[in-house]
Amino acid sequence: MTELFEVTGFTVLMAGVATLVMLPPGIFVAWILARRQFYGRSVLETVVTLPLVVPPVATGLILLKLLGRRGLFGGVIDAIGVDVVFTWKAVVVAMAVMGFPLLVRSARAGFEAVDRRYEGVAATLGARPLKVFWTISLPLARRGVLAGAVLGFSRAIGEFGATVMIAGSLPGSRTLSVAIYRHAELGQDTAASILIIAAVAIGFVAVYVANRLGVAT
Amino acid sequence: MTTIMRSLSLLLIVGFWLPSCSWPVAQSGSLSTATVVVSVAASLSDAVGDVANVFEKQTGIQVLVNAAGSQILATQIIEEVPVDVFVSADERQMIRTIAQGNMDEGSYLQLLSNQLVVVVPSDRLMGISRPDDLIAQSVRRIALGDPEAVPGGVYAQEYLEQEGVWDALESKVVPMRNVRAALRAVEAGTVDAGVVYRTDARQSVNAVIAFDVPVGRGPRIIYPAAVSTEPPNPESAAQFFLFLQTSTAQQIFEAYGFISLLAH
Amino acid sequence: MRGNKGALLTLTIKLRQGQFVLNISAEIETQAVAIVGPSGSGKTTILDAVAGLRQPDAGVIQVGQKILFDSHSGINLPPYERQIGYVPQDLALFPHLTVQQNVLYGMSNGDAEEHARPVLQILEIQELLSRAIGKLSGGERQRVALARALMARPMVLLLDEPLSALDVDLRDRILPYLERVREELKIPMIYVSHVPDEVRRIADWVIALADGKVVRSGVPAEVFGFETEKHLA
Repeated sequence: MTELFEVTGFTVLMAGVATLVMLPPGIFVAWILARRQFYGRSVLETVVTLPLVVPPVATGLILLKLLGRRGLFGGVIDAIGVDVVFTWKAVVVAMAVMGFPLLVRSARAGFEAVDRRYEGVAATLGARPLKVFWTISLPLARRGVLAGAVLGFSRAIGEFGATVMIAGSLPGSRTLSVAIYRHAELGQDTAASILIIAAVAIGFVAVYVANRLGVAT
Repeated sequence: MTTIMRSLSLLLIVGFWLPSCSWPVAQSGSLSTATVVVSVAASLSDAVGDVANVFEKQTGIQVLVNAAGSQILATQIIEEVPVDVFVSADERQMIRTIAQGNMDEGSYLQLLSNQLVVVVPSDRLMGISRPDDLIAQSVRRIALGDPEAVPGGVYAQEYLEQEGVWDALESKVVPMRNVRAALRAVEAGTVDAGVVYRTDARQSVNAVIAFDVPVGRGPRIIYPAAVSTEPPNPESAAQFFLFLQTSTAQQIFEAYGFISLLAH
Repeated sequence: MRGNKGALLTLTIKLRQGQFVLNISAEIETQAVAIVGPSGSGKTTILDAVAGLRQPDAGVIQVGQKILFDSHSGINLPPYERQIGYVPQDLALFPHLTVQQNVLYGMSNGDAEEHARPVLQILEIQELLSRAIGKLSGGERQRVALARALMARPMVLLLDEPLSALDVDLRDRILPYLERVREELKIPMIYVSHVPDEVRRIADWVIALADGKVVRSGVPAEVFGFETEKHLA
């Protein structure tokens, strides 16, 4: 039973952090894809969609290669003295990366739905692009953004493949999905079922909150 | 809207600086208790868990067991994740890590062996007692670990090839994610038979062992173990590695059905 | 073609969009100019171009001494630097802000009270300030949109069919406001309309547009005298 609370609490907290982490870059990317033409646009779109199409384990491997000690960022991270791989931070990274495309899709739709006329008029009133973004575009797009955040959060809760690769399956930092899988593997169906119920409950709560925020998922 | 943004930003800042709290994992020496990180093949996780408990009581060193498929474990190790000891389900993965210089060749030893068995659903025995029996029409599907993916699958295929029945059975084979999944399939009755480890089958209720693969006849299943060349916790690593070889530990493994390869 | 320094407004716009080609040239020396013409003739496009929301393929847009756009020298001021007040046909009042927030949107902190007061007075929107946008009547929305544009201290005011959505009664009530804005605030305006009456009351110069080209220009009496409504929608 303690496992239930520990694992669920850990997973929800990590998913929450991951959602917060993915929001600023997610909103930014969604906005520039919705409103700006630029070189490399389709490249950006492709990269953002990748975690959706590629098997999570493959994404996990890519992340491992980037964040592991031999990796592109790994060297720097190591030098600063920060541990990422095999820690809760890796869980957040895996969750954020996997949830990111869902956030961007939904937020982008939100921005595209904002009538450009509003943004145009705001500009004529002297508002520079950043002010237009904060005062007009983002508020009017908030449904899409919030829906995207809920989707991203839900994806984070369910994340498994990439998490196992860069965060390992270690006691104390096991996510709900990893724990469920482990119990199912060992034939411990009761334990697995309890955790599954917890996961379903989280799903319900997420949808409820989304509806309260006035957001259709 | 601004209130939402403000509180989100605040949470983000807090979240980023979230201290490690009680979720430790593999940070060498950053915890008050000593730790040792052990990557073990999934089929060993239960047994190693028990061994770890005894070790912890004796030494006070916390054992963090990272269980997954040996391929994934080896890949992680090659990317230099902080692991002290590696126990693999086959030599191939261990050799990968030694070749890349992550595992210490000098420490390498063959720790355990296992045995293959053929299992069938407990309610559908079909009188299978030899490999040839699997060719029968009534056996429509046979589950193995995926030979492309897990050692257990490789061993199973080797065995069937050796018995000269692989060609006849190949079309009936259902590769599963790993050996345990193959066992689950047999238990659920979605396949008619499976080739799995003895250690997994013994604990099963809904799957029955149709016949053992005699130790001499089957492929030589080896669980090698080694210590990392750059362990995050060198002393704990050495201690735990030694402990694995003690008769206490070996007896635990044998209780699970593993075969000890160390003379004791 | 460089603008005549005395002209209040110089417009040379060449713009192609799909099948539609806009090609106009005009120098306006009066304070209020009306652009009339059938729908699709390019009226709104001109306003968009002056506001900086659409970029002409070639041309010059100059307000007084200030060059907003000049394709020869590569000048193209972004909308937020043009000091244009724009009241589009659908008003585009920000739905998520209150009347007050809408009206004050374009005001920078340095703006003086004395500037704000006359606008609020002329348009009589003091009582409306705390209302939500959704709770306004047609005429009130019009006045709020006007006030918002004026609060930003524009050099020129662009009005796209400001009264066309209103019934006759309302039109007669709002028109005086526009006249007062013109008289008391003395801000040049470009007024798009297809109603001769309004045009006669507000504008002292009229440009008639058809198919993206200027077909006639002059004082209202001239343009409307002989030409019948066949030029107008």
